[in-house]
Amino acid sequence: MTQRGAEPSSSDVDAVYVFAVCGTRTPVGVEGLPGVPGGDAVGTLPFGELTAVVQTVRAADFTEEAWQARLSDRQQLERYARAHHHVVSAAAVAGPVVPLPLATLYHDEQRARSALAAETARFRAALERTADHAEWGVKVYSTGSGGADRPDPPSGPAVITGRPAERTSRPAPGAGLAYLERKRGLRAEREQRQDAAIRAAETVDAEFQKVAAAARRLRSHAPELAGDRRVQVLNATYLVAKDRTDELGRLARTLEESTGAQVELSGPWVPYSFVGEG
Amino acid sequence: MDRDIVPWDNPEPLTGPIGVPLVDLLDRVLATGVVVSGDLVIAIADVPLVRLSLHALLSSVSERIPAPWADGGPL
Repeated sequence: MTQRGAEPSSSDVDAVYVFAVCGTRTPVGVEGLPGVPGGDAVGTLPFGELTAVVQTVRAADFTEEAWQARLSDRQQLERYARAHHHVVSAAAVAGPVVPLPLATLYHDEQRARSALAAETARFRAALERTADHAEWGVKVYSTGSGGADRPDPPSGPAVITGRPAERTSRPAPGAGLAYLERKRGLRAEREQRQDAAIRAAETVDAEFQKVAAAARRLRSHAPELAGDRRVQVLNATYLVAKDRTDELGRLARTLEESTGAQVELSGPWVPYSFVGEG
Repeated sequence: MDRDIVPWDNPEPLTGPIGVPLVDLLDRVLATGVVVSGDLVIAIADVPLVRLSLHALLSSVSERIPAPWADGGPL
């Protein structure tokens, strides 16, 4: 294939998509996977003592414009993200892998080989750091303190929410003041709830850090993303030694009881969040 | 109810793209891993591309990628 000079947008130009780098010479179980949409079957590309899991794709599917469109189309993005994850996970069955971010591409195998070979030391360090470990996600949701809570929509001017009886009756003397106090009380309650939720999140994080070899905080999901009305107060992820996996479920339950928050554990993940530096 | 634990319920560890919530997946596959500079879609590794389109679907991704609005709060 031509490289460089060729128009990157011409539709017949190929590119090499790299999913992950494996510590072994022969990662089993990845050859022939379908990979990302519109490409050839997944294969391997040895470099030095490591092996990359790669796929030949059409360069035209991976231009910046193509990604702009894809990133604003949830279904499209999901297809690519899941395809990527599927290949990375399959490679990880055979042995430790270093996943690369979605859409790392080279013009051809030669370019891929030399670029990856130049990073051998980083791959080795990452493989070493994550060997015999897996990543576990922990999300904490605030449940409020009492029974009478509802993650009320971020306090809008919610003054006239029904209660026609109350509205139509003549305001009693001092009703304005009572109303203000009620509002103030509600706000104080909400603040207390938020404080409690943040404390719960900190407690959960601290406890999981004791079990983990490394930890990272991720950005919390807005409720509408997860299609879920609960308020997420912690979205963290931990690198945990495989022989400590058993402790996690128990820890999550214990913390639910002691903090009153909901603690959700997910995993094991390929250590996506712990192969980069820092 | 997937309240307390969401095990992937898969005989083989570390597999199981089925059932993984998309937001959790995106937290991990976008801009994580060892970032090596590729030849194409440079901006993905450098994040601006992702960040630009964030408002369309997610406020997640990682803390290294501040969302375009303050606090990551709802729009």
